[in-house]
Amino acid sequence: MNLFRSEEHLDRWLNQNAYEPGATITAGKLCDLAHAWWSDRLASDWRPHTRDENQAILERLGLTGKFWQLA
Amino acid sequence: MNEGDLRTRNHIYRRFVEVGRAPTFAELRDELGDEVEPALRRLHDAHALVLEPDRTEIRMANPFSAAPTPYRVEADGRAWYGNCAWDAFGIPAALHVDGHTSSACPDCGEAIEIDVRDRRPVPDEHVFHVVVPASHWWDDIVFT
Repeated sequence: MNLFRSEEHLDRWLNQNAYEPGATITAGKLCDLAHAWWSDRLASDWRPHTRDENQAILERLGLTGKFWQLA
Repeated sequence: MNEGDLRTRNHIYRRFVEVGRAPTFAELRDELGDEVEPALRRLHDAHALVLEPDRTEIRMANPFSAAPTPYRVEADGRAWYGNCAWDAFGIPAALHVDGHTSSACPDCGEAIEIDVRDRRPVPDEHVFHVVVPASHWWDDIVFT
């Protein structure tokens, strides 16, 4: 789960490492995802997210399809 | 996850924030008693934290990393490592403050410096990539 300077840099890295392309989002979307996923992590009343709660976070951000289906 | 395990987990996160690193097993045993070892293993099994594969030491309390990584985060006057770019943005989110992430492009090695201000990345020109599909993230969470 890495940040790249651009799509061009990402494509070169994928090719050089023989990785199948996964999913790419903007840094702005990543900020939204990080806030939705982690913002309660230090709360004194924290409870673990259920799978469905986490899946709903992804879906609210438009991260849908087979790649984003949690186990 | 029982209430005792939740208290252990919350204590670990509190210490991680306070001292800027993961509490060691020896520290946790001193602070919480011998019951901390089975609690840590239950929290690991529940994916509430990640232990090192060969010992009862914390590797990850996501979004915080106990080990140095390419994602260094400064926030609230302190510094931590995130486990990945997602976690690096997650540290200011968890602290509810602005922050700064320092990393390097995995392709060319050029520094990537990003501020997070009011939940927005500055600059916002970079792209984030996930190689592993979500259904396999926990198969090898360190690689993921």
